[in-house]
Amino acid sequence: MGPMRRVVAFARYGPAGRRIGRSLRVGGERELAIEAEGVVRTFGHLRALDGLSLTVRRGEILGLVGPNGAGKTTFVRTLAGLLRPTAGRVSVLGRAPGPRAAVDVGYMTQSAALYEDLPVLDNLVFFGRLFGMGRGEARARAGDLLALVDLKGKERVPVRALSGGMRQLTNLACAMVHRPRLLLLDEPTVGIDPVLRRRLWEHFAELNAAGTTILVTTHVMEEAERCHRVALIGAGRAIAVGTPAELKAAADTRSIEEAYLVFWGRRTRDGAS
Amino acid sequence: MSLSRIAAIALRILKQFRHDPRTIALIVIVPLLVMALIGYLLGDSGKEPLPVAVVNLDAGAEAPVGHVSLGVEIARALAADDAIAVQTVPSPEAAAERVRAAEVAGAVILPPDLTRRVLADEPASVRVVVGGTDPNLQGPVLAATGRAVQGLTERGASTVGFRAPALTIRPVPLRGGVDLSPLDYDAPILLTFFAFFLTFLLTSVSFLRERSSGTLERLMASPASRLDVLLGYLLGFIGFAVAQALLILGYAAWVLDVRIAGSVWLVLLVLVILLIGVVNLGISLSFYARNELQVVQFIPLVLIPQVFLGGLIWPVQSLWPPLRWLSQLFPLTHSTVALREVMVGGQGFGDVAGRLLALLAFSVAMVAVGVLALRTQRA
Repeated sequence: MGPMRRVVAFARYGPAGRRIGRSLRVGGERELAIEAEGVVRTFGHLRALDGLSLTVRRGEILGLVGPNGAGKTTFVRTLAGLLRPTAGRVSVLGRAPGPRAAVDVGYMTQSAALYEDLPVLDNLVFFGRLFGMGRGEARARAGDLLALVDLKGKERVPVRALSGGMRQLTNLACAMVHRPRLLLLDEPTVGIDPVLRRRLWEHFAELNAAGTTILVTTHVMEEAERCHRVALIGAGRAIAVGTPAELKAAADTRSIEEAYLVFWGRRTRDGAS
Repeated sequence: MSLSRIAAIALRILKQFRHDPRTIALIVIVPLLVMALIGYLLGDSGKEPLPVAVVNLDAGAEAPVGHVSLGVEIARALAADDAIAVQTVPSPEAAAERVRAAEVAGAVILPPDLTRRVLADEPASVRVVVGGTDPNLQGPVLAATGRAVQGLTERGASTVGFRAPALTIRPVPLRGGVDLSPLDYDAPILLTFFAFFLTFLLTSVSFLRERSSGTLERLMASPASRLDVLLGYLLGFIGFAVAQALLILGYAAWVLDVRIAGSVWLVLLVLVILLIGVVNLGISLSFYARNELQVVQFIPLVLIPQVFLGGLIWPVQSLWPPLRWLSQLFPLTHSTVALREVMVGGQGFGDVAGRLLALLAFSVAMVAVGVLALRTQRA
């Protein structure tokens, strides 16, 4: 069995052979992983989210694309249950965000949020235990995950001794240790070299192939192209949603970056009129 | 050397402070607080005299100059002493009860045959009943009694005609003693102070790191509840905190040969209840700090009022009443008394139950504050 197939099989069935992949699609494309309706979040005078509405279907990779300060991270933090919306409605896998919904959600923070003094393995096991896994189960799963992200042999290395890229891989593994059905990835490839970025995206694709829904924020347009659908975010709203091809066609541009500028221009023109 | 570079560096430091109002506030507040407290405690005004019970049983005696009562004279001298406030109590038993309840710093008992024995040149003594655990309380009472007796013997020698050595002062400690070493009296203070200080530093810095590294956000994005996180932290830190306290206690007991008259387990119970509160205080306060520097700046704010007003150096009973009430909110006030009662006085659980309850109230309150502080992480 080649490494790639092993990865897919693992992600689909888990180490215990439990089938966790395809069954998610039973409900069909209409089942929604994320529903957000008119979400507003203010910080003092700042309206970080200004009536954002967006749905993410189960089993898809949806990219949130927008400039810094557009509200991407605020939206992801809202989905992770870290921020309460000032107004509007959010549901994640059919539940309100919070500790109960968190069981099925993996959240990968922008910078690696890890225990620097602890070895890689201990970090993974800790987060597994936090999500209710037994010690043995968490250890087994952690071992498998480290193989998946090519960190085999680094189990005993303290996180502070890892390179930036390895840190980010550990960060991803920590977000996946409890086999989440939904992964929230907040700019997972910031500060990462092109080779590693490519590898991370391969992992995302494999996970997705095994049935994991992924919401990923980015301002790298090349990454946006890899998503099934892309939501262009600006000033706290979704200004356009569609497949990369649809967006480019609708804006009559060759890149998503240009499409973004077109949609943004239309929006501000409409807003002015 | 370049003046402009030096100036640039100095200017940058000033600018950084300008953007850090919290540090500026602490730079101003901490010294003012310390100086105000020291000025108050070492100054002459605003302090209350220590309450002292006086039981005058002296029947008096006939002297060449007529009927005299040394008891009345001593009681009058004590009443005129500014350092103490006399409460007249009918019986020695009632007086001892007030000492035991810490309502008075001590009780001066003037025996029935005081005047007769002194005039007959027989040895006579004034009994001073004290708690025996706190030199800050018993010291002033013994000193005031000494002043009263000395004044009497000076005057008495000329008017009544008795010899000075005939009248002695006999301290009667209810527990503990009146002539233990300073280390015996102060070991409970050092134990509770360092347990508090080191635990506070350990938890506040660790939790600050949890926040700044982003792992707290991860905890909050997990199914763990706020109470889960807090109790997990508590359980993790309490072991270290108690181990540290044990180390201090062990060194004090075996190397310094400090007196531990009561149960070591009771000493530990006092410390554990105190430290539960301190761990949560550290967590809660770390939310108001952005970096380790600011956590360190909180230490004087947290500790100095407790040390100055909590009866560690100056008796709580002599504080201005509002400050006295305030001191009852400080955990160190209660842990110091409890540890002194157990270690110096050899008292049991029942005797310090009230103090334990006060410490427990502090700890429960701090857990609640911690849960509220964590709320800001899911807002």
